[in-house]
Amino acid sequence: MRKTILLLAACLLMILTAIPGLGLADQQPAKLTLYEGPKTMQTSGDAAVSVNGYDLFVYDVMVNHEHIWNANTQPTTTPMAYFDFEGTVRVRIEMPGLSQAVESAVVQPYAWGIVPEVKDGAVSFTITEPGQYTVVFNGSVNKALHLFANPLETDVPDPNDPDVFWIGPGEWAMDAIALQDNQTLYLSGGAVLHSIISVANASNVKICGRGLIDGSDYPAWNQAGSYARVPIDLNRAKNVTVEGIGIVNSNCWNLNSFSSKNVTINNVKIISGRQNGDGFTFQSCTDHLVTNCFARTWDDSLVIKNYAGSTKGITFKNVQVWTDLAQSMEIGYETDKGMTLDPEISGVLFEDITVLYNFHKPVISIHNSDDAFVHDIAYRNIVVENAFMQGDNGNNKELIEMTLQNSSWSTVRDEFGSIDDVTIDGLTVLNTLDGKVPRSRLSGIGEENRITNVTLRNVRILGEPVTTLKEMKLSTDDYCDGIVIE
Amino acid sequence: MKRFFCLILALLLAVPCMALCENAEEIETIVTVVTAPPQTKPERPPCFPDPADDYIPLPETENLAQGKPVLSGAHTDVYVIKNVNDGKTDTYWESKGFPAETLFDLQGTYAVSTVAVCLNPSSIWEPRIQEIAVMVSLDGENFTQAAAPEKYEFDAASGNRVRIDFEQTQAAFVKVIFTLNSAARTGGAQAAEICIFE
Repeated sequence: MRKTILLLAACLLMILTAIPGLGLADQQPAKLTLYEGPKTMQTSGDAAVSVNGYDLFVYDVMVNHEHIWNANTQPTTTPMAYFDFEGTVRVRIEMPGLSQAVESAVVQPYAWGIVPEVKDGAVSFTITEPGQYTVVFNGSVNKALHLFANPLETDVPDPNDPDVFWIGPGEWAMDAIALQDNQTLYLSGGAVLHSIISVANASNVKICGRGLIDGSDYPAWNQAGSYARVPIDLNRAKNVTVEGIGIVNSNCWNLNSFSSKNVTINNVKIISGRQNGDGFTFQSCTDHLVTNCFARTWDDSLVIKNYAGSTKGITFKNVQVWTDLAQSMEIGYETDKGMTLDPEISGVLFEDITVLYNFHKPVISIHNSDDAFVHDIAYRNIVVENAFMQGDNGNNKELIEMTLQNSSWSTVRDEFGSIDDVTIDGLTVLNTLDGKVPRSRLSGIGEENRITNVTLRNVRILGEPVTTLKEMKLSTDDYCDGIVIE
Repeated sequence: MKRFFCLILALLLAVPCMALCENAEEIETIVTVVTAPPQTKPERPPCFPDPADDYIPLPETENLAQGKPVLSGAHTDVYVIKNVNDGKTDTYWESKGFPAETLFDLQGTYAVSTVAVCLNPSSIWEPRIQEIAVMVSLDGENFTQAAAPEKYEFDAASGNRVRIDFEQTQAAFVKVIFTLNSAARTGGAQAAEICIFE
């Protein structure tokens, strides 16, 4: 009998220790790297965030809740914090900046499956994976917290390397940084850099770290006395890596690449709320890979255009998008701004994209507004958590829009191109503004300028599978062929 | 003996239960805190020494051009002529083609001896060559050449500025004439500031 009792107790102990959720299976302590904010700045008064009991520095960064273009728009702010970790950490959030006590909270992307605990106005939840987490309070996106939980840093550049510019924690300012061949700029966590970084006609360049590039020291680019200061601007660059940093408060576009090749962008976080604050925007580029990134923008979030030649081989994978203005995944409108011979945009893949919110224009859009041949475009596993497109005065609020027509951004006005071979495989829409399936639209412009071979499959909207174009509310015109949904 | 086994059993069960409670409140953590240096204002990153020490020096006398009436021909886009003597090097004038003339009314007669042409000192302005000449006049109609056309190199390492010294000359009007700009992307002359000194 005694042996049986002991045996049962031992078994129970083994079972309990094997359950991961109890935290007993993994005896390894969490590893956590925290970054003090610059002494010249104060942590946000809107949010207090701690991880495993350790306080984070919280930044107030510009965002914009005005969901229609306004040349003189005034952004507001939302809290943002970041840290690095490995293991299991418990996040605790208090929101003194809200007018009401926190009664509910949601962690996005919903795919994390996190159900936060809300108790006495504080929100708590556990995370085990590095990634980007957005917390929305009391059912309102006002003061939503963006929490960037980075993996622990590896391969930190050697500060003594003569080709390494090593910027430590603190607040720094200089007009501009021009990186040359084989140079690395390291921006440490805890650093806030007021500057712009240019990589022009240079190769083998790296920009990395955990710090922030902050454009708040300049007015919006279109205001009197100001001008566009793109935080990271790649111009005819080759073999460039951008990794780990954040870009906030830009006064124009955020991460721009023009006629560049072999660019890898990983774990870069963009939050912008000012005029023309496009996120990742590439013109006439080849072989760009964007992974594990975040873009909350007040203009197109992920953008591909042709400014001087063709585009080929662009992949966005595992990217979270929050589009306060314009489109989430935009190809166009400019598809031949440089008026080159036989322009194309091809080999483009958007995969594992989560659109946290789109408040304005189409989520998926190809606006072939010049004369390019746009083809071999794929969208795989696109999850739109909140498709809240308001459009402009009732227009441009489609879920999917592909068009061949002139626009105010057209350069080539007397010729048109075509769109061919587009696949949307895996499109899930969880919420819409009116609880209905949003409309989609495909429109060619002539017998020689058609939209052809567009395949949609594995589409679910508002919990229901969508298997016909009618259910999809997808309209086509006489210049569309081979438009199917499976 | 029975009590002993009960005690053992209780201990065995208590260990995971206590650990479970601790997990909810406190997770064992190895923390690294990256601290910020003492600062009272944003500073220039130490890895980028201030290049101003290597800038071409300008006379310390009054810049006679600043804020004075200035004319030019057509300009490119938004880069209007008033930018050329507004005292700021982050705004600039760009002509539409060549030759490009800028005409300054000094609103008085001065013994001028130096003209400086400045671009934005930022290193993102790639090196370029501009060909520049200077002419002076007392009445705004009859001009004499103070500095013949010459090619000048603009480089951020020296402040993206050039200094044109010439024999001291009485002048009420100064004309700065551009005939070339090697920068690939421009179709005209460029100047963030044109300065005139005695």
